[in-house]
Amino acid sequence: MIRLMIWVIWLGVGALMLAACVQPIQLTVQAERTSITFLISGDPADEDAYRTLVDAFMTANPDVQVEVINIPGQGDFSRRLAADFAASAPPDVFLINYRRYGPYVARGAIEPLDDLLARSAQISRSDFYPQALTAFTWGGQLMCLPQNMSSPVIYYNKTLFDAGNIPYPANSWTWDDFLATAQALTLDLNGDGAIDQHGFGVEPTLVRAAPFVWMNGGEIVDDPVAPTRLTLDSPESRAALAWFVALQTEHHVTPGAVAEAAESSLSRFLNGRLAMYVESRRVVPEFRRIDAFDWDVAPLPAGRRPASILHSDAFCMAAASPHKEAAWRFIEFANTRTGQTILARTGRTVPSRTELAEAPAFLDPGAKPANSRIFLDAIPTLRIFPALATWNDIEAAVNAELTQAFYGQISLDEALRAAEMRSAEFLR
Amino acid sequence: MLTPFLSGAIVLIALPALMTFALAFMRYDALTPPVWNGVENFTAIFQRDVFWIVVRNTLIFALSAAPLQALGALGLALLLHPQRRGAPIYRSTVYLSSVLPDVAYALIWLWLLNPLYGPVNLALAWAGLPTPAWLVDPRTALGALVLVAAVRVGEGMLLLIAARRTVPSSLFDAATIDGAGAWQSFRTITLPLLTPWLLLLLIRDLAMAVHSSFTPVYIMTGGGPGYATTLLPFLIYEAAFTHLRIGQASAMMTVMFAIVGLLVWMVSVLMRRWGVFDAL
Repeated sequence: MIRLMIWVIWLGVGALMLAACVQPIQLTVQAERTSITFLISGDPADEDAYRTLVDAFMTANPDVQVEVINIPGQGDFSRRLAADFAASAPPDVFLINYRRYGPYVARGAIEPLDDLLARSAQISRSDFYPQALTAFTWGGQLMCLPQNMSSPVIYYNKTLFDAGNIPYPANSWTWDDFLATAQALTLDLNGDGAIDQHGFGVEPTLVRAAPFVWMNGGEIVDDPVAPTRLTLDSPESRAALAWFVALQTEHHVTPGAVAEAAESSLSRFLNGRLAMYVESRRVVPEFRRIDAFDWDVAPLPAGRRPASILHSDAFCMAAASPHKEAAWRFIEFANTRTGQTILARTGRTVPSRTELAEAPAFLDPGAKPANSRIFLDAIPTLRIFPALATWNDIEAAVNAELTQAFYGQISLDEALRAAEMRSAEFLR
Repeated sequence: MLTPFLSGAIVLIALPALMTFALAFMRYDALTPPVWNGVENFTAIFQRDVFWIVVRNTLIFALSAAPLQALGALGLALLLHPQRRGAPIYRSTVYLSSVLPDVAYALIWLWLLNPLYGPVNLALAWAGLPTPAWLVDPRTALGALVLVAAVRVGEGMLLLIAARRTVPSSLFDAATIDGAGAWQSFRTITLPLLTPWLLLLLIRDLAMAVHSSFTPVYIMTGGGPGYATTLLPFLIYEAAFTHLRIGQASAMMTVMFAIVGLLVWMVSVLMRRWGVFDAL
C-alpha cells in the first residue's frame, strides 16, 4: 500500500515537471502578443458596441490582445479607475468623460497624445471637431482622443404622442411648447388620483440643467477658464433653474421623489409609461432594442439663445502603461474612419470625426432615431464645463442640492445658497 | 497557537490602521507620492459643514441602532430560550438575518421599503395607516436605516440565550416559592445576571453600527436624500475613491476611530462602575 502511494506521488511529481516543461513553450507563443486592458462603463448594449470595435482591431492587429473591462455605473467606474491607479495597475486605455478626467490629468496620470497624433499616418488633428479636442486639452496639450460629439436631446415615445393626438415636437419648439406637451402627456389613466403616465423624465443634475441656464442668458460660473464662484444665483440663471425645478414641484410632469425611487424615469420610458426623456446619444443602442413602441429624438426646447452642452468621452492612455505602443495603436484604430464607423453603426456615438458625422453610418435613414441630424445641428451651440481638477467635487455638491430642490425637499434659494457654500472650497 | 491569528491581525488590521493614521497627516491622492501637510487635512474636514452633519448622523445612527439591537436581542432571547415546540424554527428564522450577506440583506430591505410597490407600504395602506416614503423622505430616511440595522439581532439573541441558560433554574424556583411574579423575577434575577452580557453586546453593536453601516447606505440610499443618510464610512469611501482625497479620508477615519473609541470607553466605564467586569 505504502509503495503504491509512493508511486502515485512520483507520478504526480512527474506530471508537474512535465507541465512545467510545457508551460514555457506556451508562454513563448503568448509572449508575442501584447495584452492591454481597456476600461469602459456602459450597459450591455454599450459593451457589445465596444467589443465589436475591439474584435475588429484584433483582427487587423493579431499581435495585440485587448481585454475589455466594463464597470456599469459611472460611480463604480470612477472608483474602480481610482483604485486601479492607487494600486499602480491602471488600465492601459480607458474611456472617460471630459468632466471627470480632471483629477487624473492634473496629476500627470494621463499620457499626452500630441506627439503620437502628429506622427500618426492614419489620423490627424484636422479630422476631428475642434470643440471635442478642446474639451480634452489641458495646459495646451491634447491629453485624450475624443470618440464622440454628443449632446443631450429629448427621446420621445411616438406611440404615446399618437395615442394622445399630440403633434410630434418640432425642431424649433420652445420652453412653453415643451411644457404644454409634457402636461398633455401626463395622465391619470385609471382615475385613481395617481399619475400613471408622466410627460417627462430627467435627472435633476447640473449637467441636465446647464443648457437651460445658458439658453436663458445665465452662466454656471463667473469665469469659464478660471472660475472663482458659481453664478447660479444670477437672475438669468436662477430663472432658468426655477423653470427647471417647477417641472416637478409645480407642474408635476416628471415623476416625484417617491415615484422616481419606486421606478426610475429611464425604466418608465423603456416600459412605455413616460413620454419624453432627456439623454445623450449613449442610450441609442439600448433604445434600438425597444420593440413595444416607436420612438425618435427632438432637440432641447429653444430658449432666448441657442445653447447645449457637450457630452464627449475620449480614449485616454495611462502614463504608467507598460504597453504604450500597443495602447496607442488601439486608440488610433478606434479613431480612424473604420473604427469610428463601427461605433457609429451601433448607434452609440455621434462621431467626433467631421467627415463621418454626415456619413450613412451615423445618418442611416433605416436606423433609429430618424431625426439624428439634430445632434449635428446642435454642434455649433455646444458649450463645456470648466476644465478643473475639482470639477467633479463641484458637480457633486451642486447635484446634491439641486436634486432636493427639484423634489421639493428644500427651496431653490436654499439649494443655491448651500451649493455656493459647499462648492466654494473647490473653486479657490 | 496564536501566531496565525496575530500575524493576520497585524497585517490586515494593525498595519493598515497605522498607515491610515500616518496618511491623516499627509496630502495623498493615490496618483502622486504622499506629502507631509501637518494638520491641514483635519482643518479642511472640520471646516466643512457636511462633515459635522455626517458626524451627527453617525452618532444618531449608532446610539439608536445599537441599544435597539441589544433590546431586541434580549426580548427574543427571553421569548425563545425555553426548549419548547417550534422554538428552534423561530430561533433559526431570527438568526437567518445575520447569516445573510450584507448586500443581500440591504437589497431585500430596499425592496421591502419601496415606497410604492414595497410590501411594507402595501401592508400599511391595506391597514389604512399612513405610508411613509421611508428612504426617499429626508425626515424618515435615517430612521429607516436604523430600523434595518436594529432588526438584525440573530447573533445577539444567540449570545443572550446562551447567557440565560447559565442562570440556574433554582434561583427562579426559590423566587417563585417566595411569591415573586414573572416581572419581579425578570427584574431581580434575569436582568442583573444578564447585564454584563448586555453591556458587552452593546459595546460590540456600537462599534459594528458605525462600521457596518457602509453597505446599507451604499446600496439603499447613496447617502441621500441630500446628506440625510450619509454616515462616516460612506463619506470616507467617497472622499478616498471618488474624489481621490485619501489624506482627508484618513483624517476622517482617525476621527471615526476616536468616536468609536470614546463610545466604547464610556460603556466600559459604566461597566466598571457597576462592577460588571467582576461578574464576568
